[in-house]
Amino acid sequence: MVKYSYVGKDVPRLDAIEKVTGTALYTGDLRFPGMLHTKLLKSPYAHAKIKKIDTSEAEKLPGVRAVLTGEEAPYRFGIYMSDKTILAIDKVRHVGEPVVAVAADTEEIAEQAVELIKVEYEELPAVFDVRKAMEEGSPLVHENLSEYKHAPFVYPKPGKNIANHFKLRKGDVERGFREADVVIENEFYQPQVQNVQMETHTSIGQWLQNGQINVWTSAQSPFAVRHLLGVGLGVPLHRINVVVPYIGGGFGGKAGLHWEPLVVLLSKKAGGRPVKLVMTREEQFYTTAVRQGFYGRIKTGVKRDGKITAMEILYLWDAGAYADYGVNITRAAGYSCTGPYEIPNIKCDSITVYTNHPYGTAYRGFGHPEFHFATERQMDLVAREIGMDPVEFRLKNAAVPGRITATGEKLREDAGRVDECIKAVAEAIGWGKKEPKQVGGKLRGRGIAALWKAPAMPSFTSSSAILKLNEDGSVTLSISSTEMGQGTPTALAQIVAEELQMPIEKIKVVTKRETDFGPYSWQTVASRGLFMEGNATLDAAKNLKEQVKATAAELLGVPKEKLVVAEEKVFVPGQPDKSLPLASLATAGIFPDGRGIGGPVLGYGMYTAEGLTNLDPETGQGLPALMWTFGAQGAEVEVDPETGDVRVLKMASAFDIGKTINPTIVKGQIYGGIVQGIGSAFMEEFIFDQKGKLLNSNLTDYKICRAQDIPDEFVFIPIENPQLNAPHGARGVGEHPRISIEPAIANAIYDAVGVDLFEIPMSREKVWLGLKRKGERK
Amino acid sequence: MIPKFDYFRPKTTEELVDLLAKYGEDAKMFAGGTDLFVLMRDRLIRPKYVIDLKGIEELHEFSYDEKRGLRIGATVTLNELLESDVVKERFGVLWSAAGALADPTIRNRGTLVGNICNASPAADTAPALLVLDAEVEVAGKGGERTIPIRDFFIGVKRTSLKPEEFVKAVRIPNPPAGAKGGYYKWGRTRGEDLAVVGVAALVVNSGKRIVRVALSSVFKTPLRVPEVEKVFEEEGPLDEQIERAVSAVQEKIAPITDVRSSKEYRIHMAGVLTRRALKELFGGS
Amino acid sequence: MSRHKISLRVNGQRYELEVEANRTLLQTIREDLEMTGTKCACERGDCGLCTVMVDGVPTKSCLVLAVEADGKEITTIEGLMKGEELNPVQRAFIEHGAVQCGFCTPAFIVAATALLKRNPKPSEEEVKEAIGGILCRCTGYRQIIDAILDASKSGK
Ligand SMILES: Cc1cc2nc3c(=O)[nH]c(=O)nc-3n(C[C@H](O)[C@H](O)[C@H](O)COP(=O)(O)OP(=O)(O)OC[C@H]3O[C@@H](n4cnc5c(N)ncnc54)[C@H](O)[C@@H]3O)c2cc1C
Repeated sequence: MVKYSYVGKDVPRLDAIEKVTGTALYTGDLRFPGMLHTKLLKSPYAHAKIKKIDTSEAEKLPGVRAVLTGEEAPYRFGIYMSDKTILAIDKVRHVGEPVVAVAADTEEIAEQAVELIKVEYEELPAVFDVRKAMEEGSPLVHENLSEYKHAPFVYPKPGKNIANHFKLRKGDVERGFREADVVIENEFYQPQVQNVQMETHTSIGQWLQNGQINVWTSAQSPFAVRHLLGVGLGVPLHRINVVVPYIGGGFGGKAGLHWEPLVVLLSKKAGGRPVKLVMTREEQFYTTAVRQGFYGRIKTGVKRDGKITAMEILYLWDAGAYADYGVNITRAAGYSCTGPYEIPNIKCDSITVYTNHPYGTAYRGFGHPEFHFATERQMDLVAREIGMDPVEFRLKNAAVPGRITATGEKLREDAGRVDECIKAVAEAIGWGKKEPKQVGGKLRGRGIAALWKAPAMPSFTSSSAILKLNEDGSVTLSISSTEMGQGTPTALAQIVAEELQMPIEKIKVVTKRETDFGPYSWQTVASRGLFMEGNATLDAAKNLKEQVKATAAELLGVPKEKLVVAEEKVFVPGQPDKSLPLASLATAGIFPDGRGIGGPVLGYGMYTAEGLTNLDPETGQGLPALMWTFGAQGAEVEVDPETGDVRVLKMASAFDIGKTINPTIVKGQIYGGIVQGIGSAFMEEFIFDQKGKLLNSNLTDYKICRAQDIPDEFVFIPIENPQLNAPHGARGVGEHPRISIEPAIANAIYDAVGVDLFEIPMSREKVWLGLKRKGERK
Repeated sequence: MIPKFDYFRPKTTEELVDLLAKYGEDAKMFAGGTDLFVLMRDRLIRPKYVIDLKGIEELHEFSYDEKRGLRIGATVTLNELLESDVVKERFGVLWSAAGALADPTIRNRGTLVGNICNASPAADTAPALLVLDAEVEVAGKGGERTIPIRDFFIGVKRTSLKPEEFVKAVRIPNPPAGAKGGYYKWGRTRGEDLAVVGVAALVVNSGKRIVRVALSSVFKTPLRVPEVEKVFEEEGPLDEQIERAVSAVQEKIAPITDVRSSKEYRIHMAGVLTRRALKELFGGS
Repeated sequence: MSRHKISLRVNGQRYELEVEANRTLLQTIREDLEMTGTKCACERGDCGLCTVMVDGVPTKSCLVLAVEADGKEITTIEGLMKGEELNPVQRAFIEHGAVQCGFCTPAFIVAATALLKRNPKPSEEEVKEAIGGILCRCTGYRQIIDAILDASKSGK
């Protein structure tokens, strides 16, 4: 018997040919008859009352089909906290917030119309700093916070700029600090940044007269869009169809709901014509969602022998004007707050703070790149203080199986091994080896940072899959997790091929996601896709086999249990006459006399997150994690002490991914994540003027890595301790490569030149400043 | 989206002169458009008339004469400059500046003349032209004139061109015998970026030392620093002279703080790059 | 606004069009010719996703007016296959995992194809220089660089 073995192999991506030939369609490539184009009038103020809006001139312009203001769209939207309307009502809360939207025959007309709209504002005092925003008497970004609906695990503080206060209390920190030999406290900062997906947010909406709503959108999660749109607009879900074609990058920024309600409402006003909105790059920076800013303060108590006794942690998140997604980032960072270590006594407060900055959302890593910068820098600073090797110090406190996490979870035996990751990376960058420090006037250093992350999601989220047997014996897999570059559909095809023991060429995964037809999936976020969709797909394949076997058993007159599905057949091993091609069962089986049996074969599978619980509102104790993916990053850098330039000579990364399904796809996640991390480490940052206007809202002024900015060398070490309830043991690794790049590099910079950095980005200028201050102190 | 305008593509300089005379400030010329279309797309300017210079054969002339030096027409692209052996071998400072500007897909459209007419303080080719004592050939309704490059830049994005004038070409005399030069550009990143600071240096180290230094992104215009030249007019140990040149540069420049850099870092880097440039150019001979 | 009759050859086919003065070559390719493989992601020359060949030279089409392209030979991603065959760069991109979300892929492939025509054996530095004007947010560039170097080795 041929053994079809696909899991672990470099199967080329299913979407590759479409993508290298330019035929893959993205939302922006779609056109429909009568389609209109949208332009937005945006707030020039960070915080202002809207006194008057005059759209009369715009409405008179020929070709203008709909002009929409906030008053006409009094709907609140939100996945965790419904604090946002689709256009500003009564007041604006950040520069770039849309106030009026115009749909017209062409973009040009829409833009002219926007220029004809007059808005009178009355400027209000604004707040831009999270710590100031928490002070008594700070201007309030949301006066009506108490009226907003929110998820039960969110704890807003009405009357303050606090959208969520997550608390974690474990053990007794005061006692822990008393037991410590040394107590060290530091502060850390990361600015707001943007996901910078190459495809800006793009949506097309249509609200037909019969009540049907159609949406085509560059969204990560079609079912979340449908649900949130339905709830927000008060429309039954079966009247909404959401289609998602290929997505030009998401990185969290296209999770949940964004501009879909806007185009749908414009369409309604324009009599049902389809309405398209493509965000400009500038709007992508300051109108749509960004990554939250971060301020962290960590106090660590440690014994001389290297055992950490206590951590007191404050994380403040600059959610900007709206905190919908941000509240859950705050929570996820809160329950993972220590990094991958066992700490007996913890007090953590993780707080989502409203300011008048652009509003925050998910970005690859969901708060973890931000807080790991703090925790992993702190690990090095503490190790130094007690004179211990940073690798040894990490290993000593590592959260290995059997140890207890911050939320009181005892790590399962198959949880994955952060210690193995740390050791692998240390070896890869030559940790502890003596190598010349100075090379041609430049100084070299090495740094390590560990990490962990679990999918941040409600405890009961689920996924499903449908596997259809076609008349020729091929199969079609429907899933609703989207393809935005991460390659999950290809990995799922490999899983199906292996499970059904058939050639992968016989498997199709649907390319378009469509809620009318597709099986339910919560969202394509949180590095959960392969784990959850994978389990659902395996379940569907098993179900398909069951159906096939049931019919075949009747036709062949053998017990079902004896039958095997492989090689596109169902058969009894060793009995060549007891065999049927799958093709012959696809629509129904046929007895020799012509009678039919069974019916069209449609495998159904599902998976619901297992064993997760709510967290206690006062102590944060409970089980939040479906799986922890552990990892470590190691950096070798070369610093030019004269200019502050840092060159990354090598990045070594290890993740305990359980099992590699497709090495090339995994490598893509790793390298891509590292380079995003390097962008954040050195160059990415929102720079505002004093009035909250973003000064670098294009790709000239806001830099992301180019081909010349990548490390000279990448080393990836997969660690494979399988997780038993995962498909083939595989854990998610979509976000993890993006985490702990900044601290690994910062630790390496210290090793090279003895400068401690506490702020991101570590631009050439900031490294130079650090060196200069160090020189002046001497 | 670029806002509306009327497009003209004159075939002769006479037609161009007429168009400019007729439309004055309402018209904008372009060669590569890599500055103009960005400004228009960002709504920073809204010309009613846009004049494409590439239809005028004469403006695409690119020639070298042993006596008179280089002449670079208004529509000669930066990539064309980079492909020229004469530029590479004899006008190294210009060659390295052109190669430091943007990326090949921009340089394939962008021109030297466009770079200086746009008159950004960050214009990468301007310091090279300053140390090469280039001259700008200008024409208009009132006839033709020549503007020395040191008088060409008068402010941020402002030149001494009158609205109805245009640049025909840039002329660059042969540099002094034995001259070596280079452009040292510092950005925020290794990849393509506008200059945080750029230093163009030209050095002759045979017998009497001649040194010329000019900078980008440290003043309201690209800036040549004659004080550096004076330092090298007297005899003295090279290292000391270089340090005095560094101080002269740092005293003369008046950079601003913007999204790319603080003023302090610019001053520091202007010094570092000047030192590196001079050491390298002297060292190699 | 002035309108202009232009004649282009795109991927070997001739097109006679009338365009408004402010129409960019990118808009004409995507909207008038409905070839959507070429992408738009910044409209100001920064991202390079609109890169096409103009007379064989990779060019950011968002900063070119359609009227300027009159009489030119344009090659877009749709024009790179030889019949049913992927070109060596396209094949190498698949093999090396240089494709993720795919939004930038056409631009890189166009630029790389043009590079290898002009310089069949580029160094790594030359590859980086040639693609330095194009942004990718997914791959980290390494696989793209490797794919181009590999395609140059298979050099046809
Ligand atoms: C992505 C990107 C990166 C860039 N990076 C850099 C960089 O690193 N360094 C740098 O210096 N520049 C950079 N630039 C700016 C630009 O590419 C250069 O300045 C280029 O040299 C301009 O040439 P052009 O022919 O395209 O100019 P155009 O846009 O055609 O013209 C520029 C200006 O000069 C005027 N003009 C043009 N020709 C004439 C003439 N003959 N007479 C009178 N006026 C004239 C125009 O009206 C316009 O105001 C960059 C631009 C982009 C889009």
